[in-house]
Amino acid sequence: MADIAYPIAERTLPNGLRVIVSQDRTVPSVTVNLWVKVGSRDEVPGRTGFAHLFEHLMFQGSANVASGEHFSALMGVGGRLNATTWFDRTNYFETVPKGALELALWLEADRQGRLLDALTQENLDNQRDVVKEEKRQRYDNAPYGHAMRDVYATLFPEGHPYHHPTIGSMEDLEAATLDDVHAFFATHYGPNNTVLTLVGDISPEDGFAAVEKYFGPLPPSAVARAEGSMPPLAPLTGPVRLERSEPVPNDRLYLAFRLPADATPEFHAVGLAMDAIGGLSSSRLVEHLVRQERLVTGLTAHPLGFAGGVSLGLISADISAGVDPADVERAICAELERFAETGPTDIEMESAVAETERAWLSALASHDDRADHISHYAALHDDTAYINTFLAQVRAVTVEEVRAAAARYLQPSSRAVVAYLMAPGPIADEELS
Amino acid sequence: MTGVPQRTRMSAPDALPRPDVLVPQPYELPVPTRFRLANGASGLAYDLPGQYVLSVRLSVPMPLRVEPRDLEGVATIMARTLDEGTARHTSVEFARLLERRGVAIGCGVGDSGLSVELDVAKHHLAYGLDLMHQCLAEPAFPAEEVARQVSTRLAEIEQERSVASHRAAAEFAATFYSPVGRSSRPVGGTAETVAAITRDAVVAFHAEHVAPAEATVVVAGDLAGLDVVAELDLSLGRWGTPDTYRSPGPWQVTPRADDRARIVVVDRPGSVQTELMIGAPGPDRRHPGGWAPYPLLGFLVGGSPTARIDAVLREDKGYTYGIRSTFRPRRRGGVFITAGSVRSEVTGDALRLLLDVLEHGREGFTQDEVDHAAQFLVLTAPSRYATADTIADEAASLSFDGLDTGFTSRNLVEIAGMDAERAGAAYREFIDGRWTVVLVGDAASFLADVQALGRGDVTVVPN
Repeated sequence: MADIAYPIAERTLPNGLRVIVSQDRTVPSVTVNLWVKVGSRDEVPGRTGFAHLFEHLMFQGSANVASGEHFSALMGVGGRLNATTWFDRTNYFETVPKGALELALWLEADRQGRLLDALTQENLDNQRDVVKEEKRQRYDNAPYGHAMRDVYATLFPEGHPYHHPTIGSMEDLEAATLDDVHAFFATHYGPNNTVLTLVGDISPEDGFAAVEKYFGPLPPSAVARAEGSMPPLAPLTGPVRLERSEPVPNDRLYLAFRLPADATPEFHAVGLAMDAIGGLSSSRLVEHLVRQERLVTGLTAHPLGFAGGVSLGLISADISAGVDPADVERAICAELERFAETGPTDIEMESAVAETERAWLSALASHDDRADHISHYAALHDDTAYINTFLAQVRAVTVEEVRAAAARYLQPSSRAVVAYLMAPGPIADEELS
Repeated sequence: MTGVPQRTRMSAPDALPRPDVLVPQPYELPVPTRFRLANGASGLAYDLPGQYVLSVRLSVPMPLRVEPRDLEGVATIMARTLDEGTARHTSVEFARLLERRGVAIGCGVGDSGLSVELDVAKHHLAYGLDLMHQCLAEPAFPAEEVARQVSTRLAEIEQERSVASHRAAAEFAATFYSPVGRSSRPVGGTAETVAAITRDAVVAFHAEHVAPAEATVVVAGDLAGLDVVAELDLSLGRWGTPDTYRSPGPWQVTPRADDRARIVVVDRPGSVQTELMIGAPGPDRRHPGGWAPYPLLGFLVGGSPTARIDAVLREDKGYTYGIRSTFRPRRRGGVFITAGSVRSEVTGDALRLLLDVLEHGREGFTQDEVDHAAQFLVLTAPSRYATADTIADEAASLSFDGLDTGFTSRNLVEIAGMDAERAGAAYREFIDGRWTVVLVGDAASFLADVQALGRGDVTVVPN
């Protein structure tokens, strides 16, 4: 198929803000997308959950913007907006009619540069409560809600930046003071630690000028995070496991693996391996365990790409009623061993690449998602044009590279297993020690 | 924060004046090309330059009341088995044929009927349509695949029971709708009815209820250089109507329970949050007073962190991560739903505040509030409907109701000109203080508080 070629123009302002413009005039709107290079991996012990709490505070007003006004001002002129926090970054984004682009940039510049003037104890207390409810809703009050926390804690060693989840601990949030919040902003927020992408109905020249107008005056105030500073983390050398007895509807197994960092040839190769092993509907594990043996009612396998020296590969299986999870685990391990020896078939390679192609094209179909992908790879991998080159990189991966990546990263002996096993009773909320 | 060198913060200079916003050009959703296939299916094609993954959506209207009472869920099992083997290919072979070209097909059933979705890179359209045609025209429904889908659905029923929002929705339907109506029970059936579904039942249901005569097919994406009608004629157009097919007949109003205005608590001891679902009757899209006020009202009352509900329950009280309101139209009649979760110990106060906010709307809305909501809905439309899948989904969803995206465009025009008086009157037409309330949570921690509100009978049921 033809290669994709979205236009990409880039400029770095004197204060360090990296600006990327990708013009697309099919719709009269513009997406503004910022990636700030701070995430839960930058949190220190005793202050987990801070990056995410901070994301909430960014909607509570700044020097020239009242609390909640960021939302209402943009929504009232046809803006859709939000923000999210993850291990490697915090992103802020809005899609607005093109005539509201300057307002969006003005609002962003005000909170990215002048937040602390408006930050109050009252806002902090309120958003701390909101975040607690977010945690209860998404994690404490959901079946398997703490499974990913357990996966991170089991796969990554104590003290590793990916050991704790983004939501953090409520005790740490409880201890947060206004001084902490001020220090966090001063350290991490500033144009020299941020990438700003515009996608939509705007030329590069006009986009650069508009960003420069509102962000240019901000000083390079952050301690810019150097990417590539986290050392690689080798695969586990022996299996580790954590079992929980919980009131879940069925037994579920998570098998997690340490993978290479995102946006590397080895990561692409191991991603294709995971597709062939369990990610595709026609994959080996789905064919054997779901369709033929019916040992599981559902199975997924996919890589989660991180930037800091290691990524996460996850296989999860919902165990059929009456089936011993140990049998399923053995079957998965046996298939991993076989795959590491023989590698993928040509049809498996063809399928994994074709599915990757469709998924990638779909992911770039909207201005908002395209902008987010551009910011992602510019901020974390210094590769502004990655959206255009990713598919060629994936197609260049060979059968042998897929086999070798599986042999290195997806061995049964390198697995971390988290098992959620059915038990009657109320949902527990004990923290992992 | 520890470990950070002491430094003097560089302060930002004063901000520039707040910029003005330029008024955008009026917008209409893309206009489709209309056609009809030889087998009677209606067609809509939307050319969206730059959308390289095409979205194809097929809607087959089918009221779920046509399911046999003791086999409810058979439509869902039928849909999920459509792509699990055809006359020419086994389930595994078919999955491989799809994935070798990156073709995604999904089949499902909702309360309006059967939906079949195809997402495919533009250059594989013909290949994808051929496979979609095979699913519809020659599904094999292998006995082992039907049995597997039954097992999977049974596991899913337990999973849904364990998720508070799903559990609330199920209890809401059972409370709000009359037990004589299909809508009071889960779309996908209950454990008892699903367990009774056999291959024969699936085959018979498919033969009687799935046909192109009243179906609509939507294709959206970058269509340059494609003859979409010709491609469809060679594939879906060859799908015929079996002699066994029975037209579903007229749609009926879904009967509501006489005693729907009450509070039901689904007791989940130890739950740290309470999931709330509050509802009342709402309009359908053909409401005599017009549909346009209702998306606006849903947004104004509970559509964002700054809407009336979250302004109180989230931003003022910190009780919730977010609570949302929406008017959901059905083929005949509709429902106004408000849903979200709060921490257990404030359940009583949260319910009081929520009902206050909802009922306060009867006193009307300011023109500023109405304008703000209207601006959001109207001015976000170009970017909300910018991709192939969003346009295709909107068109397919409306086709179940005999409408197309012209309906959406006309509503946007009406919403843009909405005055506060019309909005208030539209709200009062349905909101009369009689609510169906479902609370899923730890009854012991809030039951007395809820009873003390004096909002009617409170029934406690097990999870």
